[in-house]
Amino acid sequence: MHEMSIALEVCRIAETRLEREQLGRLVGVGLLVGDDAGVEPANLQFCLDALLAQPPFGGATTKIARCAGDALRVDYLEVDE
Amino acid sequence: MTVRVIDVRESVMARNNAIAATVRRRVDAEGVLALNLVSSPGAGKTTLLERTLDALGDELSIAVVTGDVQTQNDADRIARHTSALVQAVVTGGACHLDSLQIHRALEAIDLAQTDLLFIENVGNLVCPAAWDLGERAKVVLFSVTEGEDKPLKYPRMFREARYAVITKIDLLPHLTFDLPRAIASAREVNPTLEIFLTSATTGEGMDEWFAFLRREVSRTSAATAALRG
Repeated sequence: MHEMSIALEVCRIAETRLEREQLGRLVGVGLLVGDDAGVEPANLQFCLDALLAQPPFGGATTKIARCAGDALRVDYLEVDE
Repeated sequence: MTVRVIDVRESVMARNNAIAATVRRRVDAEGVLALNLVSSPGAGKTTLLERTLDALGDELSIAVVTGDVQTQNDADRIARHTSALVQAVVTGGACHLDSLQIHRALEAIDLAQTDLLFIENVGNLVCPAAWDLGERAKVVLFSVTEGEDKPLKYPRMFREARYAVITKIDLLPHLTFDLPRAIASAREVNPTLEIFLTSATTGEGMDEWFAFLRREVSRTSAATAALRG
């Protein structure tokens, strides 16, 4: 449940950025998740895969990198131009 | 396919934290002490609030926002102890409150007429630790029926909290709960944690809790008055 909230916010960030900059189709989302972020990466991956399979995303993949600390951020988007 | 990488580097919590900052400005501007009560389910958040409203309801104006995954049961229980507004937030499955829910709940609360705002979070010692709601402090509760190593099992919550309330201490004679070890575990995770020992059933320790609330409400009100000049 917690991871679904996080995943929804990741999608909101991605969608906002795509719309604002008129970017192409999203094909990947890169996340940085700290060991102390309170997030289970596998659960987050599962939630994001489910959400990113739906419009307006259409199957973008998720790449989660780990780090020390409590970082939890969207690092980059990959778009098809 | 030509793939371009767009640098983002945006915190997932940035939006929640921005709204929390707005909530904090609103309550601070009105001199309201806002406390976010967090615990596992059944630790006694609602009962602590009921006793607090009974004891302090005539001298302080207390508003409550309660969060539950389903039902308004906690809000209904608390509403029987106060004529002040109790706002229920049903999260519909989510395991924590977020700052937008608090921001919206405050629309129905007259902060200018409020001394103390309690936010009773969803019973969960993991997720609510990550979400700033705009409170002055998190107050973590854990009961003597839960195990003295709880702070070590859920360190982030105990690090995020400024105060801890160990509840149901009237049950200590019937349990193997090691109270000194529990306190040591909490202080190991957060050395500055201020700890209260309470029983809502016998009233033991409740006077210290009430005195703390009176003191902090007074401090908050004085700080706001000083800022207003």
